[in-house]
Amino acid sequence: MKLIYEKSIEERIGFSIPEDKFDEINLEDCIPEYALSKDKKELPEVSEVDVVRHFTALSKMNYGVDTGFYPLGSCTMKYNPKINEKLANLEGFTFVHPLADIKHVQGSLEIMHELEQLLKEITGMDRFTLTPGAGAHGELVGVLIMRKYFKDYGKPRHKMIVPDSAHGTNPASSAMAGFKVVEVRSNERGTVDIEHLRALMNEDTAGIMLTNPNTVGLFEEEIEEIAKIIHGKGGLLYYDGANLNALLGIVRPGDTGFDIVHLNLHKTFSTPHGGGGPGAGAVGVKKYLTEFLPSPIVCKCDGFYSLEYPKKSIGMVRAFFSNFSVLIKAYAWILSIGKEGLKEVSKVSVINANYILSKLKSYYRPAYDRFCMHECVLTGRDYKEFGIKTLDIAKRLMDYGFHPPTIYFPHFEPYAHETIMVEPTESESKETIDEFINTMIKISKEAKENPELLKSAPHLTPVKRPDEVRATKEPILKFEKK
Amino acid sequence: MKNIEKNSYRYIPSTQKQQDEMLKEIGVPSFEHLIKTIPARMRLKNDLNIKESISEQELFEKIKEISQKNLDFANYKPLIGAGAYRHYIPEAIRSAVSRSEFYTTYTPYQPELSQGTLQTIFEAQTHLARLTGMDVVMPSIYDGASATAESVLMALRINNNKKVVFSSSLHPHYKDTIKTYTEPQNVKIIETPDNKWLIDIEELKKRIDTNTSCVVIQSPNFFGGIENIELISSIAHENGALAILTVVESLFLGLSKLFNETGLDIVAGETQSFGIDLNFGGPYNGFIASKETYIRQLPGRIAGETVDSEGNRAFVMTLRAREQDIRREKATSNLCSNHTLNLFAINAYLSLLGKKGLYKLSVLNTKGAHYLRKKLIETGKFDGDVYPFFNEFVLKTKDNPEHIREKLFENGFLPPIKLSDFFPALENYLLFAVTEILSKEDLDNIVNILRSKP
Repeated sequence: MKLIYEKSIEERIGFSIPEDKFDEINLEDCIPEYALSKDKKELPEVSEVDVVRHFTALSKMNYGVDTGFYPLGSCTMKYNPKINEKLANLEGFTFVHPLADIKHVQGSLEIMHELEQLLKEITGMDRFTLTPGAGAHGELVGVLIMRKYFKDYGKPRHKMIVPDSAHGTNPASSAMAGFKVVEVRSNERGTVDIEHLRALMNEDTAGIMLTNPNTVGLFEEEIEEIAKIIHGKGGLLYYDGANLNALLGIVRPGDTGFDIVHLNLHKTFSTPHGGGGPGAGAVGVKKYLTEFLPSPIVCKCDGFYSLEYPKKSIGMVRAFFSNFSVLIKAYAWILSIGKEGLKEVSKVSVINANYILSKLKSYYRPAYDRFCMHECVLTGRDYKEFGIKTLDIAKRLMDYGFHPPTIYFPHFEPYAHETIMVEPTESESKETIDEFINTMIKISKEAKENPELLKSAPHLTPVKRPDEVRATKEPILKFEKK
Repeated sequence: MKNIEKNSYRYIPSTQKQQDEMLKEIGVPSFEHLIKTIPARMRLKNDLNIKESISEQELFEKIKEISQKNLDFANYKPLIGAGAYRHYIPEAIRSAVSRSEFYTTYTPYQPELSQGTLQTIFEAQTHLARLTGMDVVMPSIYDGASATAESVLMALRINNNKKVVFSSSLHPHYKDTIKTYTEPQNVKIIETPDNKWLIDIEELKKRIDTNTSCVVIQSPNFFGGIENIELISSIAHENGALAILTVVESLFLGLSKLFNETGLDIVAGETQSFGIDLNFGGPYNGFIASKETYIRQLPGRIAGETVDSEGNRAFVMTLRAREQDIRREKATSNLCSNHTLNLFAINAYLSLLGKKGLYKLSVLNTKGAHYLRKKLIETGKFDGDVYPFFNEFVLKTKDNPEHIREKLFENGFLPPIKLSDFFPALENYLLFAVTEILSKEDLDNIVNILRSKP
């Protein structure tokens, strides 16, 4: 499809701007020569009609949750309720300036305060910051809190334990906070190797970053022992909340030994992923860590909301306070779903994942043949002998109208490779899931009988397989007139 | 027996009967059986202390009511800026952003199903490259402050020096964010002072040496002042330091000199002004642009053009070897989610305004601000240093600044912030922001209100 620049026609305009009535003011008197451009910037010249049609055309080349099944493991691509978009776009919220007088923003602060109370109850933590813009931003906040906690204690620690099954953001966040990353192995059951952990943990290690259920979709059933090992050496447990969708109303991370928790409001709490964001990454802590939270946090005194600056705060990690409009959507979702709904969400997502696992495990040998939580990790390893890569299976799914699951993650030897990580969420009906299962079985057959069909897939998408090597070797990162 | 008509089930299509069928197919008698691995002692003993679900209608009323506890900001004309600016947002932008094919998608890992997102990222990269004059652009991170902090980390990786100099005229939240991000890096942060709302060049020279990694400036700065970037870049370069600029009021890019002509190494910025609502501070959108040399040190997602297996143009996420999901602890950053959805707004905004519109709008903002300053000085109630500024300026009040703010508020204007909120020593200073939202009549009205006796 043509770029907006290729639709540009000289002299065409798409804007309307109030008349310039400031005849007495000269631009050259206002802006010093050292800062003023001689020419206008080369942006496109298109009409409003061109722009609207351009974006409509672009939207048709995208596949979203509203298009169909989007079973990306670890991403929780659930339905994004329409009313929540409307609520976040109420004029009463969208026009609010972040530095306005506190008495004028009581409604926005009430949303933040009320959401915090709900997240505390759901996770069993004592205090939340809603500042982080994403899960990884929350991780950074969490590990900086750990860093500051030990520093404040007078005994800085320098290492962080991260399982081999962890999301890439965990080691990357630890490194940003100055920790040396130490990897703990997964065992043959798909959970943390306790003896290895015991051997790694010492008094120079800040703690562990753990996802539970972990990225192979299994509950870390020895979490109490893990907590004992980490706390025993004075360390802290960090909970990566990417997979909380499995546990709502069943288990609270705060009750199982975790000291810091981040939640991805754009996963478990239904706010849209937006093609990559904005999401929001709330971070909850136990009482003894509240004074380290990033500034500012919302507090309620005598029915009046205000902003508080924790004493030993790690500082700010962004301008202003939060991805506020995302918070409205998460709050609205919790109110809509209610306490019985939260439990139902986890129950149905676990049933859906196990149903897929049970139906597909004889076709796509799972990383671990056990009941899973909210996602199941299959593999494409048995198709290598037909010259088929897991990628080919994923691409072929597109021809049948599905978004592929997460592939090649998690990856750790010897258990998890060529992985296909399927997370159906609670949003999918049995009919959709059955259709997916049948398609996967069909593709399994095709892989053996007609492998070319998979290798050249997808056939029905707006573009075919792009040459990613060329994109890296000869980077073209902006449009330039030939 | 569960009430199968509970409101909470509207987003959960599986009926009880279907769930039972699925459990049967799985081969277990109950859901409980699937989660046996969770020891009973870890389970919640009671229900969560959260209310039961409510209907959509009740939800709408409730949240609308809460929104009305805010001041009705839409009906006030803003003189407040300081890092977040109210500009008019053309309706066509909302229609683009609200398409669910955009907002219900994930990060474009599967390019065949994400060309709409990828092409938008690519187009936004092009817009920002053309506005800044920089070679390469990473178009989306949480906001301008985190973009600026990531730019500093980039500089530290590039030259391994351990001193960071930033100007006192940098937005206070940006300063704080830089400090938080760099704290683990054992660097020394040095603030260099301003003089009459612009960086004091002689003081800056004293603070830079060959151990300096980078100099971070903002222009227009927190006080609206337009810095001499070329001069500051050359001072940084004489000492082997990188020059980093952050642009918070991005509308300035409509008329600013291309930054590659001013010697900058990295430009970070906040693009809230390009079609993004104020939203009480977020989500906005930050970007980082740099010289080509530093391309592999950029954090975050970048889209690139390539061809598909049939030779047709296609877009992909590229230079992925910098990223956390590939490199884990060796990645340039932990960035995973960004603010791509806001790129749809930014792309639509910059396409609509285009070559002439963005220029005209930035000129209109400049003139409005300069007009108001001139008229306010003429009232005799304000003193002001003469310095070059864009659409924000500082004035010292002769009256109590709170009285001025109250008077403006009573007349339907959101008053300017007091500088003492951020710099306690600066009593009686107000920071006025003027965008196209304020017409010439509004500005004359403001002058009349402030001229009259209380």
